[in-house]
Amino acid sequence: MNNPHHLNPTSLKSRFTTRFLRALTKIRAQKPISSSSPTEIFRRYRRIKVAADKSMAYSVRSRRIWSRAMLWKLRSRSYRRQDPCSGRRSGKTNQAIMKKSSNGNITRRREDGVGFVEEADELRQLVPGGETMNLCNLLDETAHYIKCLTTQVQVMKKIADFYSF
Amino acid sequence: MNSLLSPTQQIPLQDLQPNGNSGTHQAQIHNPQFDPTSSHDDFLDQMLSTLPSCSWSDLKSPWDPPKSDETPPSNPDNNVGFHYDEILASKLRQHQINGGGGGTTAAMKMMMQQQMMLPGRPIAAAGGGGLTMPLHNDIVDGSSFKSPNQQVDVTSHYLNLVGRVPCKLCTTVSVLDLCMGLIISHRTSLSIFTILRHTFFSLLHFPQRITKTLNGLMIHIQLFTSILFIVQGGNMQTQSFGATAGTVMNQSQASGSTTGGAPAQPKQRVRARRGQATDPHSIAERLRRERIAERMKALQELVPNANKTDKASMLDEIIDYVKFLQLQVKVLSMSRLGGAAAVAPLVADMPSEGGDCVQTTAGGGGSLQRNSNGNQPSSNNDSLTVTEHQVAKLMEEDMGSAMQYLQGKGLCLMPISLATAISTATCHSRNPMINKGSSSNHPLLQSNGEGPSSPSMSVLTVQSATMGNGGLDGSAKDAASVSKP
Repeated sequence: MNNPHHLNPTSLKSRFTTRFLRALTKIRAQKPISSSSPTEIFRRYRRIKVAADKSMAYSVRSRRIWSRAMLWKLRSRSYRRQDPCSGRRSGKTNQAIMKKSSNGNITRRREDGVGFVEEADELRQLVPGGETMNLCNLLDETAHYIKCLTTQVQVMKKIADFYSF
Repeated sequence: MNSLLSPTQQIPLQDLQPNGNSGTHQAQIHNPQFDPTSSHDDFLDQMLSTLPSCSWSDLKSPWDPPKSDETPPSNPDNNVGFHYDEILASKLRQHQINGGGGGTTAAMKMMMQQQMMLPGRPIAAAGGGGLTMPLHNDIVDGSSFKSPNQQVDVTSHYLNLVGRVPCKLCTTVSVLDLCMGLIISHRTSLSIFTILRHTFFSLLHFPQRITKTLNGLMIHIQLFTSILFIVQGGNMQTQSFGATAGTVMNQSQASGSTTGGAPAQPKQRVRARRGQATDPHSIAERLRRERIAERMKALQELVPNANKTDKASMLDEIIDYVKFLQLQVKVLSMSRLGGAAAVAPLVADMPSEGGDCVQTTAGGGGSLQRNSNGNQPSSNNDSLTVTEHQVAKLMEEDMGSAMQYLQGKGLCLMPISLATAISTATCHSRNPMINKGSSSNHPLLQSNGEGPSSPSMSVLTVQSATMGNGGLDGSAKDAASVSKP
């Protein structure tokens, strides 16, 4: 099947697609399809979802606050899986780094006079790394995050289409 | 403009007028300036008359001696300005020395000497008449005034001097801007402010003098600064006005907005014109708000259904859209578990046995909550048949209980015709998957809310169909396919 959407080799879409496909093939290589117990399936679903998010975050690299936050979360999670102690340690240091990078945005009370506190808080929970942003940056990051999510969904749909035909 | 004045305010003006009885030139002094038709005069009118009438009567006494000692004027215009200036200067001096009482002749004479020491003043050829350029001698006079009681008089003097400034484009602007600030700080009425502005604009029409008077004007402004300092009785204003004067001279125009912020009293803070912020804080706030607005606009284009009624609802839309996208990713990743093989065969067509046959479409995965619990109602073939039989039994007894049983299992009924229509409508090529449905028992089903917008999966379309049905179908007598809602 043709992939007509890969027109620009350096676009976000193509970067994400290549990474995601690579991850998918890796996952498929790991487990046979025949396993059908719920937990197995659930685990696999989780793995795929994580792979999707990870590949997305990696294609964005560290250019965005949310991608950095997501990468940090993924790394800490993987560390935690391997070794609980080291995960905690790395988690703490990473969190310190994150907090340092968004210097002073956390401590500032966000009643900034614009009046969107509740919605802004909810948005902060949705966007990864949103707690450490002021409203201005939050809106910026949300825009980019939405763009990346739509790309992700499109690509995954196309892949599902391709495979399920 | 006279209508702006209260009758009481006009009284001191009239008190002033009879003092010009010495000669024609005195009349010349007053008349052109008090002529209501000319804009200058209006300006001066307003200036002088809105001042609280504290001691205009005292003006009368000191005026007579200076008149007699006037030097014969070489130029009528010069005389006019000279006299008026001198008069007010003397008045101020008097008040300074005596604190509002009668003036001493010694002070008067000193004043006169100072006045007479003025070198040739540049004469304003302004059409308004009576405008001359006071020079640095006036500064000496001004700086010597130390009494805080002179609020009224200083203001009047200052206003008078300002009124006689020739119309340079830049400098006049700056001077009058300074005037505005001073006047406002003096708690005079706002009408003065508007009048001053009006006058300022009218003054612009006059011919311009250039550098000669510029220096004098600069000094003039410093004089006013010092006067204001005296009047306010505080140190802060001097510095602020000194700075303002400096900046005013440096800038060519448009210093009006900054002078609005110079006076310290918060009551007198006048919103600078045309919505300009006078505060660095408010400027930063405005900038921030603008940035947020433009980001909201960008977001609005990304999110569908962007009928932006107001910002809060727009934010809610954005939040919902982000949630929806995240949900879509989750669902799609679930559907991907099969990989290259049939993803999630949700449609398991049993061969129809006539109209009363029940087709079971097994669905697994269910809602995401169920998935997160790791508990999925997996249905393989055996369980399907079991369910089927169960449902059939229940339907014989009571439709309601059958439906409840189905719902408890997370399934629902839909007519076969609809199910087949949907499954064929999506893609005929999906039939192989349907056939394979029974073999691979992936009990996954996407329960996404998007409905027909994702026709890529037959699973999804069946899903959407069932969701559209709501799982209920009255025509249970027809062959119904049970599918998971």
